[in-house]
Amino acid sequence: MPIERVTFLCFAASYALALGLELLLLLRPHWPLRLLAVLAATAGLLAQTLFMIGQHVSFASATGALLFPAWVLAVFYLTGSFHHRRLAWGIFVLPVVLGLTLLARAVGPSAAESPGVVEAAAGDARAVWRILHIVFFVLSAVGICVGFIASVMYLVQAQRLKTKAVPGKGLRLLSLERLETMNRRALAWAFPLLTVGLLLGIAQMVHEGVPFQGWSDPRILTTGLLWVVFALVLYLRYGFHLRGRRVALLTILAFGLLLVTLVTSHNAPGGGP
Amino acid sequence: MMLLSVGCSHRTAPVDVREKIAFHHDQLTRALEEIPARFQCEAVILSTCNRVEIYLARPEADPVLPQDAVAAYLAELHGAPRTSLLPFLYEHRQGEAVHHLFRVIASLDSLLVGEGQIAGQVKRAYERANECGSIGPVLHTLFQHAHQVAKRVRSETGIARGHVSVSSAAVDYVRQVFDRFDDKSVLVIGAGKIGELALRHLRALGPERIWVSNRSSEKASSIALGCGGVAIPWDQLDDVLSRADIVLSATGAAEPIMTLERYQKILSRRTSGPVVILDIAVPRDFDPRIHDGDRTCLFNIDDLKRIREQTLHDRLAHVEPAEAIVAEEVQRFLKDWSRRRHGLVIARLYQESEARRQAIVERLFSRLNGRLSDADRAQIEGAFRLLQNQFLHGPISALAEESHESGSHTLLDALRKLFRLHD
Repeated sequence: MPIERVTFLCFAASYALALGLELLLLLRPHWPLRLLAVLAATAGLLAQTLFMIGQHVSFASATGALLFPAWVLAVFYLTGSFHHRRLAWGIFVLPVVLGLTLLARAVGPSAAESPGVVEAAAGDARAVWRILHIVFFVLSAVGICVGFIASVMYLVQAQRLKTKAVPGKGLRLLSLERLETMNRRALAWAFPLLTVGLLLGIAQMVHEGVPFQGWSDPRILTTGLLWVVFALVLYLRYGFHLRGRRVALLTILAFGLLLVTLVTSHNAPGGGP
Repeated sequence: MMLLSVGCSHRTAPVDVREKIAFHHDQLTRALEEIPARFQCEAVILSTCNRVEIYLARPEADPVLPQDAVAAYLAELHGAPRTSLLPFLYEHRQGEAVHHLFRVIASLDSLLVGEGQIAGQVKRAYERANECGSIGPVLHTLFQHAHQVAKRVRSETGIARGHVSVSSAAVDYVRQVFDRFDDKSVLVIGAGKIGELALRHLRALGPERIWVSNRSSEKASSIALGCGGVAIPWDQLDDVLSRADIVLSATGAAEPIMTLERYQKILSRRTSGPVVILDIAVPRDFDPRIHDGDRTCLFNIDDLKRIREQTLHDRLAHVEPAEAIVAEEVQRFLKDWSRRRHGLVIARLYQESEARRQAIVERLFSRLNGRLSDADRAQIEGAFRLLQNQFLHGPISALAEESHESGSHTLLDALRKLFRLHD
């Protein structure tokens, strides 16, 4: 089949099937179901890769900015399924993969609604700044997504502990310590990337002489708010030893802002986060 | 084959009876030497805190092993009146004995269904009998098969899933909070008998350090010495509590030693991650309101016992499949054994018949020496072989049918007697 004929539906359906099988695994923990879930997700990943190549999906587009983290998280799901075979891993990762995929479909049906990175790079030297700005921002988005997944898992595990659920019954999750570490590392990687991405964006705007449209500009507002929340999480975490549930909730808030940023930035005039 | 198991368990006898007839090391050795000599049989003795069972076997079907005589021997060895033991003893013969052993080793007859110790205890009983030379072909085959049954039941059903001891349940909870333990500190407050057991499980996790605090500094030092920890004065309890990652509390205090207000002050000084408190004291040492499932995870003795009850409840769902495996394996063992025994007799019958035919033919040829051509000799030899085969066909077919269908040895024993076949 020509790769141009691979559609959103191909990989979204594969991820949905994988998620359905993971849910079924909760009721019937049989290894063939897990194998089928992994195969379905692998098929989805392959289809998504072909789609992104075939459709020349640009990072600079809303579609690309959402599909790239989804792609990384699909890989994250597959590696996690290998390492944490007995845990309810897919239940938390696949909804994010599927959600980002569907959001990408909703916000940008066309793959090239803004200039592609490659094309832009070929245009002039200014595009280098733009490429770096987008790459850093998308990579930080991946970190925030991982932090979000770890935070949701943390809250569920903490709730299980709070209700003193019998270990080994129901959802099997990583320990609180492991989830907190995962969240901390994800944020520690994502924050510098986000900061550099933002600085590069500002530098690009200054260099191109784009006028500052004020704090009411959705791009400025959401991105600035995202950065502030992020900085706040890290400040509270390291400055006040804030841990556990509250850090998890703030991370979830950051993830929500990230989604808003990705959607609003690309729908705003000028494009780009 | 003659197989008999005689004994008592937690189901049939109270603990004082079980204690009375339990085998100590020397008694076990003596019994494993005396029983085979006295009853002309193989013997394995399984003696645990929940059961005492003697397995006796002979390759031959008779004479029958008498249960009364075994009971009398038990009474004699332990110096108890025979009549005081008889009401508590059970006996299983042949297939029932096989079924019973397989149920025992699969932990279906245990006090805590699915517990893993019994398989090891049966293995040790078998090894001990082997060392004493009281084991023969029947019990060797039976116990080897029993171990396979135990493995199959454990791997194919969920009967051994989960933990049933309070200490293991405590570790299960701790593992939900922490991932690694080589950088963790364990604080032990007080420590009774159950506390020591829980501490042993926590030590197995390999924590970086263990602190022990007790109202009595001597007691704290003694416990600390025993577990490689450091004794902490009682008045420094709050300080170490703010730094500990896992707390095991088992004091004999009549009132909670840690109120909510006192604990909140400690928590405000805490800079590290969550703390797991295992409060196994009765009455409880910690105010239950400090539990939030995030920064402080408090589990008391009831929470830990709940895991055990849940585990046992879950295991019950696996009893039926486990029983099915046991029943299947009993049939398999009896058939295999039957085929093995029948196969030996068939081979022996054929060998005997073949030897006799050859001897008769040789004698005939020597008498007719020089008067027979090679073709005549071949014809005569063929005729005798045909006669032998036709003669043996009926008994061998009947034996084969018996081994496949009934699993009994009636015909086998009859043929052994009729044809004077010996092992």
